[in-house]
Amino acid sequence: MKFSCWSFLQLQASRARLFKEYKEVQREKSADPDIQLVCDDSNIFKWTALIKGPSETPYEGGVFQLAFAVPEQYPLQPPQVRFLTKIFHPNVHFKTGEICLDILKNAWSPAWTLQSVCRAIIALMAHPEPDSPLNCDSGNLLRSGDLRGFQSMAKMYTRLAAMPKKG
Amino acid sequence: MTAKRRARGAEEFPLSNLSLHTNKIVSDISLFHISSLFFFSSSSESKIRVFDFNQIRGLSSIMVSDSIINASIPNASKDFGKKKRANRSAKLKQCKLDARREQWLSQVKNKNCKEKMNVPVVVPSSGGGKFNGPTIETRNKAAQCCKDLGVQSPRVEEINHHDSDSESSPSNSPTSSISGGNDSGNTYTGSSSRSSSSSFSSVGIWSGSMTEEEEGEGDGSCGDDGCLDDWEAVADALVGAPDDNQGHNSNASLSPEQETKVELNPGVQPPSCDNMDSEKLKSDGDGILDRGTENGKAWRPDDASRPQSLPNLAKHRSFPSGAERHHEFTTNPWAKTMTSRVPTSCPICCEDLDLTDSSFLPCPCGFHLCLFCHKRILEEDGRCPGCRKMYASDLFEKEASVSGGSLTIRLARSCSMSCSRV
Repeated sequence: MKFSCWSFLQLQASRARLFKEYKEVQREKSADPDIQLVCDDSNIFKWTALIKGPSETPYEGGVFQLAFAVPEQYPLQPPQVRFLTKIFHPNVHFKTGEICLDILKNAWSPAWTLQSVCRAIIALMAHPEPDSPLNCDSGNLLRSGDLRGFQSMAKMYTRLAAMPKKG
Repeated sequence: MTAKRRARGAEEFPLSNLSLHTNKIVSDISLFHISSLFFFSSSSESKIRVFDFNQIRGLSSIMVSDSIINASIPNASKDFGKKKRANRSAKLKQCKLDARREQWLSQVKNKNCKEKMNVPVVVPSSGGGKFNGPTIETRNKAAQCCKDLGVQSPRVEEINHHDSDSESSPSNSPTSSISGGNDSGNTYTGSSSRSSSSSFSSVGIWSGSMTEEEEGEGDGSCGDDGCLDDWEAVADALVGAPDDNQGHNSNASLSPEQETKVELNPGVQPPSCDNMDSEKLKSDGDGILDRGTENGKAWRPDDASRPQSLPNLAKHRSFPSGAERHHEFTTNPWAKTMTSRVPTSCPICCEDLDLTDSSFLPCPCGFHLCLFCHKRILEEDGRCPGCRKMYASDLFEKEASVSGGSLTIRLARSCSMSCSRV
């Protein structure tokens, strides 16, 4: 009995929190033009985000889709985020889109929001961390110092997957 | 009363303890009721709360101390039964009457040229020091004083201290102090009339519980109460008392919170009043008005001869922070300054912070969160959301055992509060 109450409370708390974030997103839609965060119509625990690839990176010009699965213990537990759009990045799994980012794992803080997670992911795109790669090819290119090879690969996949098809 | 302590200081005890404890008291409440107490202390959704509130209220005759209910009322909203509404409005009326009487008394005394001394003298006599009741009265009286003096309320001045130098015209100051007086009046009436439309003003409710306790127990219970603020008051008063002997200037160095809490404590205050009495009647009786006209203010916070006993704004500033969502306070000048410092709602769960929550600083980094979320975090990884450092758990435990009188810890905490806020 007690346990169910407790988890119910947690559910309520996370719902309230997500709702607040939703309102925040609605209110500040234009504040961050690089991020477009949308909540699923029927489930507040499912979110999608569209982020623009940061400028002066091979991802520039691309629009990447992220899928958020928010746990019931949110915000005490981090949301699970993955790329729906293919991306060639050392810290993103090429097939599953899984993201290796400390704030989505052990460095999570309940003070973070979905919006700030998006910002963190944009920052990760601009500053890849090749020493803890999920995409070994990409990581190896960077670690071997083949910056040009990495950039051309990343740019190619950006063009293939993250840019609107022409014609 | 211990039950009450638990209810108020919900952070100090695991919630399971709370339910167990009440289980002892109200052995015939069904399991569901116990779980509903649970909801209570943890500020969940309002509907649930309301429902449980009805149930428990019905049981209050069985010994669930009223204070449990009162402690949780600020969270409750909307659809209380009419019976309770009547009950409450009766209490509020009582409260209001009391406040009026006090106000009137102080007016009479003011005419007897005892301007400042009314305030501390009357506060202990109101038997409180408990929570908000006396403070409200103090506020009324202070407003009254300032009105009578025709000078700016020192409390207002302290809030607006950054711009008070420029806009300290005497003409606007009495208005603000008057509005302060009216404000607290509105709180009483407001909470009873608004009971159907929106959430209750926590101020009104607390003062409601105040009257109950006064009727029920009288003065002696305030130490027993052990609610967080009282302990802080005791601690702060003990710090404040030696300072009196060294001079009033030290008063200014105390944090605003500490200053007013000193006045909340009936037991320790009188000595300092006595200290002040002789010199102040000599020096201030004729000096106040002069000072008022030349500066446009009554007392600067750093004024050397500013009476220790003079009530100031700080305590009331922490009022609106809890009750900021209520409409009366949106017009309140000191509510606005408060928002920038303490968030109105918990950044984790987005519930509104009440008075206890907003004065609760578990981490030196100054990250505010509600007791509920703090407890949840302690159960999980125990790191502060603001700085990701582990919460100092032993410090917290000592704070929890404050009933044992760990004065130094308490002082350390109030220090940290003042540091982070100033």
